[in-house]
Amino acid sequence: MHKLAAIWLAALLLSLPHHADAKGKLVGVSWSNFQEERWKTDEAAIKAAVAVAGDRYVSADAQSSAQKQFTDIESLIAQGANALIVLAQDSSAIAPAVQKAIDEGIPVIGYDRLIENPSAFYMTFDNKEVGRMQARGVLAVKPEGNFVFIKGSSADPNADFLFSGQMEVLKSALDAGKIKNVGEAYTDGWLPANAQKNMEQILTKTGNKVDAVVASNDGTAGGAIAALAAQGLAGTVPVSGQDGDHAALNRIALGTQTVSVWKDARALGKRAAEVASLLAGGKTLADIPGAVKFSGGPKKIEMNAVFLTPVAITKDNLDVIIDTGWIKKDEVCRGVKPGTVKVCG
Amino acid sequence: MNAVPPLIAMREISRSFGGVRAVDDVSLELHAGEVLALVGHNGAGKSTLIKILSGALPRDSGSIEVRGAEATVGNPRDARALGIETIYQMLALADNLDTATNLFLGRELRTAWGTLDDIAMEAQAREVIGRLNPHFQRFKDPVRALSGGQRQSVAIARAILFNAQILIMDEPTAALGPQETAQVGELIRTLKARGLGIVLISHDIHDVFDLADRICVMKNGRVVGTACVADVTQDEVLGMIILGKCPPAAVPGPGAMVSA
Amino acid sequence: MLARFLKATELDTRMLGMAGALLLIWIAFHLLSGGLFLTPRNLWNLSVQSSPVAIMAAGMVLVIVTRNIDLSVGSLLGFVGMIMGVVQADMLPRLLGFDHPAIWALTLAAGLMLGGVLGALQGIVIAYAGIPSFIVTLGGLLVWRGAAWWVTSGQTVAPLDSHFRLMGGGPEGAIGANWSWALGVIACLVVVTVLVNSRARRRKFNFPQRPIGAEIILGLATCALILAAVAVANAYPWPIGSVRRYAEANHIALPEGGIFIAHGIAIPVLIAICTGLVVNFLATRTRFGRYVYAIGGNPEAAALAGIDTRRVIVKTFALMGLLAGLAGAVSIARLNAATNAEGTLAELLVIAAAVIGGTSLSGGAGSVGGAMLGAVLMQSLQSGMVLLGVDTPLQSIIVGVVLVFAVGLDTVYRRRSAP
Repeated sequence: MHKLAAIWLAALLLSLPHHADAKGKLVGVSWSNFQEERWKTDEAAIKAAVAVAGDRYVSADAQSSAQKQFTDIESLIAQGANALIVLAQDSSAIAPAVQKAIDEGIPVIGYDRLIENPSAFYMTFDNKEVGRMQARGVLAVKPEGNFVFIKGSSADPNADFLFSGQMEVLKSALDAGKIKNVGEAYTDGWLPANAQKNMEQILTKTGNKVDAVVASNDGTAGGAIAALAAQGLAGTVPVSGQDGDHAALNRIALGTQTVSVWKDARALGKRAAEVASLLAGGKTLADIPGAVKFSGGPKKIEMNAVFLTPVAITKDNLDVIIDTGWIKKDEVCRGVKPGTVKVCG
Repeated sequence: MNAVPPLIAMREISRSFGGVRAVDDVSLELHAGEVLALVGHNGAGKSTLIKILSGALPRDSGSIEVRGAEATVGNPRDARALGIETIYQMLALADNLDTATNLFLGRELRTAWGTLDDIAMEAQAREVIGRLNPHFQRFKDPVRALSGGQRQSVAIARAILFNAQILIMDEPTAALGPQETAQVGELIRTLKARGLGIVLISHDIHDVFDLADRICVMKNGRVVGTACVADVTQDEVLGMIILGKCPPAAVPGPGAMVSA
Repeated sequence: MLARFLKATELDTRMLGMAGALLLIWIAFHLLSGGLFLTPRNLWNLSVQSSPVAIMAAGMVLVIVTRNIDLSVGSLLGFVGMIMGVVQADMLPRLLGFDHPAIWALTLAAGLMLGGVLGALQGIVIAYAGIPSFIVTLGGLLVWRGAAWWVTSGQTVAPLDSHFRLMGGGPEGAIGANWSWALGVIACLVVVTVLVNSRARRRKFNFPQRPIGAEIILGLATCALILAAVAVANAYPWPIGSVRRYAEANHIALPEGGIFIAHGIAIPVLIAICTGLVVNFLATRTRFGRYVYAIGGNPEAAALAGIDTRRVIVKTFALMGLLAGLAGAVSIARLNAATNAEGTLAELLVIAAAVIGGTSLSGGAGSVGGAMLGAVLMQSLQSGMVLLGVDTPLQSIIVGVVLVFAVGLDTVYRRRSAP
């Protein structure tokens, strides 16, 4: 759908005389893969903010292919985008395309996933902080015992950010021997079914002696919980997650999942659109309100970044997420026994 | 002359592929107990004509009568239902399946519950192949494991198993040695004596003169002429094939060379 | 002597070879994992994990035999899975009320029908429009994956109906010790009956018989294998949490060591086995199956024999679609959630399973049992490697190498035994 619109727009733009108005900028967004649940929310937020600013929105979906994303970025540049927001599938692979945009004076915002280019902007929820929150959520319920780590996809740099955040929080307990790492596995493609199979094998390996599972997102948490359920351990073993998937929030109410770190994608999208507009209007990177310096990436390049704070949703603060309108109360409380969860009554 | 209608009467059959008329206004008759040889150079239209008769190809125009009655031969099943069996040049056997399966392909025997009755089929296969080739034992092997002559036996057995009344044979001896060729000749005589009508396509003039009663020559899709084998010489037949020159003893067809 | 026995029983040596290879892999993993692989628990898990691919591999055999391929099964699984999720979590509860006992059956029926119809649609395009199956199903792979996302805009549907979930395994998703033994005994009796019947028919037509000694050994060995498998399934007890819940719900006092409640055969495994038996029956004992192999061997000969080849091909794809739907039901039941990415890349595993099982990509040859063994073999490799803690990328490398090796062996075998 977006591709077709993009091609039409390109044809139209190429045939019109070039307008260089300050108003009505073109914001181009390059998505990595629309299949994962949350990105649709981000898109809706970006589009709304772009419309409010009187700008125009155009996008492309790389369908999980780094190569396609490379082409997508080039095509967005060709369409005359004044600013690019890029959700990188593989940030090293698209580095040349990003550099090309920057060389043409088009500001680039690395959205949620780091693009290590000193002239690019980085906007994300602090993913390391997400990892820390996940570990803290689980640690609060089980301060010691055997821990399992269901990680994300090995091809996604975010997976390692999350893991390092988790390890930071658990380091002292690990060193003191109060926590043991009895199993860790990457989850191919973040697929829940793969997480389930991996969890089953780890449970077999450890003879069910698992006290806590630190899962990196809600999809993989779902898979791990399905494996735990088959062993009668769902509900007694704390599990973490991320994204605020509706199914996961229901699980938190039911007690099978402990925490889901929620990033209000709408806030990130809105902020990204605003920053894109500012940058396209000529503001420099360092002058963006709220920007900080960040050098935590693998190449230790200093970036200008805006970090939004994630929220850890547990049984006790489900009302927070219901109040934002992200999910309806009856969806959260489906199947919950009355009297067990405060917000469900 | 005959009160008995011919087994097969093809009248003004035409068939084109693209702009090329592969079969052009061909008429011929086949009577019970006779062997009609169909000869002509490569591309004369013989294979196309018999494919029309066997239901493998539809015709563009013309009619087919079987035993005096107009017949629709729209697909191979129709042909078989009319008693027409064909032995194709490439034999049309499924190489990965065994003898019994190939014999009954498309007309399998079934048990009372509707499943395939492999054992009954194998029994009949053994019986009919045994009549043709008593030493044949490899009933369980896929047909690709058999020799050329054995495969030929299977193809022939398929035709006679279902009580064919009209048998079409396309180059039956092309890939066979002298002994097997003689066997096929014997078989043809036996079947002829039983009252079958046989259409025989062959390149070998000697075989034609040896086995056939009548001969029909085609050239460029048209019939040059038909004649009784006894009434013409080999040279005259070659003349018909190559030049289209119809000798006096033959009935000329639309393709015959018009003499000045 | 073994050679004589094998020849006498007319057993498929390639199948035996694969079973032997599977056994070797199992033993190797067992030793390497310190005795964890050949446990009732791991084997039970393995059987459940292999089920979706095994179900689809059975159908894929017929497709490949006719010289076609179906690359869309993973995406079809995902799409039909999403539809089934929405039907049981949304539509049916509104019509029938929450947790109605008929929901699972209606949902499954809807899923199978949808899978069959979509498969038939692809089959019609392939058979009647003459577009190569590679292209049509490649298109299907893209189309159904996109459609799967569209059903709920990417949102996961969870949890699923409590009865539907049983199709995915788990303690309640298994039939228990008594039923398992009963089924095992019935299976044994069926095997014996088949052997006896086959002897009787051969006698009726005066065919040479297989030596009675060999047949008796064959019957006993098969029975022993069936009963051993049942015993393994029955040796895997419910986890203590489930036992406790069961005891509470049924007001049974729980003794100190807990009670041993056996899992028995898992329901998804039963589904897979039934699928295998049915498809094998179709392939070997019906005209449809016969025509499938004839078309694969010589499509022209099949057409000249009066077989409606196009209808047969449409039916193979319809069956494949239906089985993809069935595998989808098992997959989402197991996960207790319908996700739009379910089944991603499954088509490669399914095709690999079929080919390892002896199905030739040039058509005309293939066995359903072999394909299902192939599915178990591939899953054994993957599960075993996770047990050993092998890194994911290395797992992919090893599976790829084994696939090529296995098929290479098969090719050499074929060439040597060809006339």
